[in-house]
Amino acid sequence: MNSESSVVAKQTDAVSDTESQSLRTRDQLAPADHLEILRQLYLARYFDVRLIKEKRRGRLRGTLYSSHNQEAILVGTLFGLRPDDWISPIHRDMPAFFLKDMRSGWNNPDRKGMSVAEVCAQVWGKEASPIRARDNWSHIGSLDKGIIYSTSMLAATIPVAAGVAFAFKLDGQDSVVLTYNGEGATARGDFHEGINFAAIHKLPLITIIENNQWAYGTPVELECPTEDVADRAKGYDIPGLIADGQDVLDVYDKTMWAVERARRGRGPSIIECKTFRAYGHGDHDDDRAMRYRDAEEIERGRSRDPISVYKRYLVEAQLLSAEEADRHTPENRDALQVTDDDFPPEVIAALKEAVEFAVSSPLPEAEEAFRWVFAEDAE
Amino acid sequence: MSAAAAQAQAKNYLTALKDALHEEMERDPNLVCMGEDIGILGGAFGVTEGLLDRFGPLRVVDMPISESAIVGAAIGLAMRGKRVVVEMQFIDFISCGFDQIVNNAATMCYRSAGKVNLPIVIRGPSGGYGGGGPYHSQQNEAWFAHSPGLKVVCPSTPSDAKGLLRASIRDPNPVVFYEVKELYRKRDIVEEIPDGEFLVPLGHATIRREGSDVTVVTYGNMVHFCLKAAERLAEQDVQAEVIDIRTIVPLDEETIRTSIEKTNRVVVVNEASRTCGFAGELLARISEFGFELLDAPPVRVTRADTPVPWVKPLESAVLPSVDGIFEAAMKVVRY
Repeated sequence: MNSESSVVAKQTDAVSDTESQSLRTRDQLAPADHLEILRQLYLARYFDVRLIKEKRRGRLRGTLYSSHNQEAILVGTLFGLRPDDWISPIHRDMPAFFLKDMRSGWNNPDRKGMSVAEVCAQVWGKEASPIRARDNWSHIGSLDKGIIYSTSMLAATIPVAAGVAFAFKLDGQDSVVLTYNGEGATARGDFHEGINFAAIHKLPLITIIENNQWAYGTPVELECPTEDVADRAKGYDIPGLIADGQDVLDVYDKTMWAVERARRGRGPSIIECKTFRAYGHGDHDDDRAMRYRDAEEIERGRSRDPISVYKRYLVEAQLLSAEEADRHTPENRDALQVTDDDFPPEVIAALKEAVEFAVSSPLPEAEEAFRWVFAEDAE
Repeated sequence: MSAAAAQAQAKNYLTALKDALHEEMERDPNLVCMGEDIGILGGAFGVTEGLLDRFGPLRVVDMPISESAIVGAAIGLAMRGKRVVVEMQFIDFISCGFDQIVNNAATMCYRSAGKVNLPIVIRGPSGGYGGGGPYHSQQNEAWFAHSPGLKVVCPSTPSDAKGLLRASIRDPNPVVFYEVKELYRKRDIVEEIPDGEFLVPLGHATIRREGSDVTVVTYGNMVHFCLKAAERLAEQDVQAEVIDIRTIVPLDEETIRTSIEKTNRVVVVNEASRTCGFAGELLARISEFGFELLDAPPVRVTRADTPVPWVKPLESAVLPSVDGIFEAAMKVVRY
């Protein structure tokens, strides 16, 4: 994991770039914002736990790429975005689709993020999915909600996101694009081609690297030659920030710094969020992932659950009482060991309703398989 | 000086393309051009000359040598309501952007249940006979015809170059557009092109020469080879009907069928290599819909199954020739 000194060094570089920008946007968060962040962490965790269980029961098709232990990256990067900002999540980021603009109200139909129900309809492969379940799991998007559709070719979203960012520049709009990738994807040409282009034109593109140490079965040192993946930014003369991926507020601060910089036309940034993949690459890999990784490494990697890290902060900052912090405790536990009793009722309710919606939605009809190869005339 | 004025109106293939780009850029403020060396230089062959001065660097973007990022960025721009024309400096280089084209752009409409249309044209110079060697001579349209969701276009004349490019730019789907670089400045292939809203819709073949004895189906530079072969066939009292399909996807099967109903014999010609070239697909379709119409086994003329070699004797040995087309047609006619 990252050393404290490298984090400080990168921050110092960053500060000299635009002194006026705050490195602690968290100071502007209201107490209610903090409680909302905690609720979102719970929701992301519960969503993952629920899917892991559903998958084990054989109710879901396709592969589950668990986001367990990485939720702080999603909540922390998304919490401060504006509704008009765009994102491109990847396979491990399923909660991102509903966490986007969730601050505008979980049940607000006009918010620029997907509903939990829509996301569940996609996971269950139903007609109510935003793409009528024509591609699997995370390959959903929405032009209206500012979510780029991804493919299985990791890093391929970066040039696309750069194109969206170029359009913002062309239209004189100060929206930004956040694109997500694992550390493994930083070895792909599209990562470099996309960021190179964005850096040349100072496009508002922020690349979040979820460095969970493992690209499927290959460790980071066989994917990236530099000590930190963020060092890849040096070749493009852009900031390469490092965030503690277990600390939602550190992720939030670094993201907001890069976002504000991008809004001012200063160009792209890379933010490496150091974390650890709790389970296998996909659920098919869970068992093997316990063998190709050392037990000690796994224990250490899971030892800083983002929910407990954040609760500790909230209690110390007197934003949450110790009693409240202990009321629901899904943290530091295996997904199969937690139950509905470990989550707040509003989180359980949100998922319950969404899953019911997904289950009740019909499967798409077979003849749809032949539609939309090409644009169809306006109906 | 009216004769000279009329002369000045005749456009070559390259000028026709250039005019199409200027007119469409003028017409649609949402149109963006991207590619390597297209702005300051005006394109390696000059197809984009003058665009940067007229439309500025935000709409005429000199891109780094990053074909994947060029196509990817075009997808992103299209997601924000832009239309994009991407230039591949040579169509051979399209392989460097292959993933973004076949896995991303081609499938987007399908994957999004029709919600995302990507009006992107990926155009570039293609074809051999110029001594370009393996990486400046390809005619790789079959790769893209094999990827559902892409339209594939290959004009053979200046007016088609202009009309098809304009139609491709206005099409809501991604289009891969093959320009025949050997025709760019060919002096004997110039045409007067109507001004104004001149479009050639995609999916419509045209008959370049009428005949009753054998149908020759082709496109691109091969159209001119086939027309030369047809002249020689006429000397042998064989009247060849030469069909220029113009767009590979979508394919106008009707024009082909109508012709074969008349001639009952067919030769298919493509410049690309043989195995899985588009000529093979044409023969398969003709066999499916027209087996009983044929009085002779159909024949295809293609490049050999080799890369395109560099020096002249080698290049000529593998590429289709007028002689080869003539002989193929004679074989079918004499069967």
